[in-house]
Amino acid sequence: MADEGGIYKKMATYDKRWVYVVLFITTLGPLISPIGMPIGISAMTKNYYAELDTLQEGDIVFDTWNMEFSGYMELKPGVLATHKMFIEKGVKLCIAFGHYEGVALPGEIFKQLQTWLDRYDYTEGEDYIIIGYVFPNEAAVAALAQDFHANVRVDWKGESIEGTFLDEIQNAGDFDMISDYTTGLATTWMINHMVLQYGVPMVENSIGVSVPNHLANLDAGLLQALLASTRGGAELEFLISSPGPGLKAMDAFTLGHYSLIIFIIIGNIGHYGWARRSGARDRTGIK
Amino acid sequence: MTNALFTLPGFAEGRLIGLLLLILLFALTINFMGQAKLPYIRRVPALDAIEDAVGRSTEMGKPVVCSFGIGGFDYWTVAGLSILGYVAKICAETDTRLIVPTGGGSETYITREAAVDLVRNAYTAAGRPETFNEEDMPFLSGEQYAYTPGYVGILVRERPGATIMTGSHYSEAMNIAEMANGVDSITITAGCYTSNMAALACASDYIMLGEEQPAAGAYLSRDPAQMASIRVQDIYKFIAIGTILLGLVVVNFGSDIINRLLST
Amino acid sequence: MSSFFRSRSVQMTILVVSFLLVFVPYFIPWGPLDWLSGKLMTIAAVTNAFTIVIAVYSQFRRSGRFINQRRKGWVYHIYLLALLAIMTLSGFILGQHGGAYEWLLLAVVTPLSSVIYGMLAFYMSSAGARAFRARSPQAALLLLAGFVVLLYQAPLTGAYFPGIEGAAVYLTDTFGMSVSRMFSISVSIGAIVLGVRMLTGKEVAFLGFGEGEE
Repeated sequence: MADEGGIYKKMATYDKRWVYVVLFITTLGPLISPIGMPIGISAMTKNYYAELDTLQEGDIVFDTWNMEFSGYMELKPGVLATHKMFIEKGVKLCIAFGHYEGVALPGEIFKQLQTWLDRYDYTEGEDYIIIGYVFPNEAAVAALAQDFHANVRVDWKGESIEGTFLDEIQNAGDFDMISDYTTGLATTWMINHMVLQYGVPMVENSIGVSVPNHLANLDAGLLQALLASTRGGAELEFLISSPGPGLKAMDAFTLGHYSLIIFIIIGNIGHYGWARRSGARDRTGIK
Repeated sequence: MTNALFTLPGFAEGRLIGLLLLILLFALTINFMGQAKLPYIRRVPALDAIEDAVGRSTEMGKPVVCSFGIGGFDYWTVAGLSILGYVAKICAETDTRLIVPTGGGSETYITREAAVDLVRNAYTAAGRPETFNEEDMPFLSGEQYAYTPGYVGILVRERPGATIMTGSHYSEAMNIAEMANGVDSITITAGCYTSNMAALACASDYIMLGEEQPAAGAYLSRDPAQMASIRVQDIYKFIAIGTILLGLVVVNFGSDIINRLLST
Repeated sequence: MSSFFRSRSVQMTILVVSFLLVFVPYFIPWGPLDWLSGKLMTIAAVTNAFTIVIAVYSQFRRSGRFINQRRKGWVYHIYLLALLAIMTLSGFILGQHGGAYEWLLLAVVTPLSSVIYGMLAFYMSSAGARAFRARSPQAALLLLAGFVVLLYQAPLTGAYFPGIEGAAVYLTDTFGMSVSRMFSISVSIGAIVLGVRMLTGKEVAFLGFGEGEE
């Protein structure tokens, strides 16, 4: 007797385009019409917040944007929330890019921080300087770490950095902290040449798939804190009481994960109901 | 911070053990490279899958798509090129069309030339130099996310019987593997990027995890230098395991001697 | 002159000297050597940046050949060269801040790369939904671990079941981290061994030489 399979076969062999459709609906729906589900705050985000909280006014942070624009989309909540903390604390930022697409990022990011920039009178040249795309390869990172002013003399617009707060920076060890937002570009080089060589504390905002890699660095003490992807950024937004794109996306995050779990459960029910039984029938010859 | 056991005047603190390990690594590598007898490397199971996949493509009259990564001349690309050479040899012998999408990174302008020579030589060695077609090795782009849709377009148009992704592939590998699965192609990948290895394992029919790829490359090329590298890496892994176990035992007895030794 | 610098022995000499200039100061800090090492790294960084110029030149040459010979897809090469020229000229003439260059980057390049990156979510989901089957006891264990981590990743779960954080973090911190560390060690050793092969002249493809070439 032929194996019809029935509902179990349908569950085991569903077209993957259903996954795409359901995922599309469950992510788009809450973005258009937010539900407002609660979120938990992870210990990792609390640690990240605590690390940033140790900064004092006037501390100089090396703010490295090791992300392309596509990666920025994932890291955006963490980037904005972290910079809000920096602006509020009056920390000086030296901003560098690890990818040429970084040229477009300052406009995007500071446009969204405009209220905070105005409120705290945070200005380019005085409080933050953008030195541009300076990490094309590992040699550049090593050279910059060793002798900052030999490698960087002007900012990204060509204006001299002499007479600014960067006069205090001779090498990477003179930074009070490195704040890195990464999709995996120059981060390892920075850990090798700045953290290991000079002992600069480094905090990381990483895309989700790279979090397991960076956990090893966190555990080894190379990183002081780690913020994981969009969710970590949303949690940080909550901690600084400044809701933004991260918290807005959490409903979609939750529903997307749950829909994937449901599809896995459906597939396994179908597997047990059809695939395993048909295998047993084939093996034993019992119909 | 753990203190070093001792320091040498004029020597950077905390780097002596690292230097000694490096010197040992140099010595072992040079020693094994110079030996007449090649070290033993087991055959990686994915190589059988490659032969089966190419055979399937030949029977179905479909092409084989094989790429060697988007990195420069790094550890993974060298292994990927060895595997590409092997695939090219089988395709040449079985008269199966081989498509090699190249590009994806700024250094692929250089690696592409090496790949073209490799594939051309494989066809010549098989006695079929006339069937080598450089247009089947298109340079798609020097950018990762422009290379990806080009690669996917090739898969959708050509509908290969086998898709073999070796070398260093990063986030684009997931796109490509899933699309290869979607066109019913046997997908054999090599994971070098820890972040997407788990996802690649889900999307591929066969996967070479981490160092299986360089081992496969060394096994196929029979190059003494590559095989010596694999042997030295294995020795260092045993050293690492031994150090970890010793440290675990010693720490549980309340001593930090291993920590201090490694910090010397 | 160029044949002198293109010879294998000269290139290998430059390679070994460069290596020693960076390697030695790392272990034996000495002012003049540190200075020389820093200068060499700066030179390497600048030289590397100039390879973009070579890449653009190569692309023009290659595309020109395709167009001249009317090879397959030659029309797309005209499109490619036109875009290359527009981006380059708009950046140099109008500046990279504001204007056409920034608009092209923000309106064209970044959404396109964001789309490809965003599609990964769909592909990972469909691959995960397809692959997570409890076909064996080991697969069932993997499935269970995957469930715990997936549930934890959904922010709502952590709000109502805070205990799940402990389980998920345990799985990531033990199994996940140990695998990451293992690969880090393997890859690092592999990279060093490749360096040894390059320094001893056993790996010369990166210099542009084939086997047996000088």
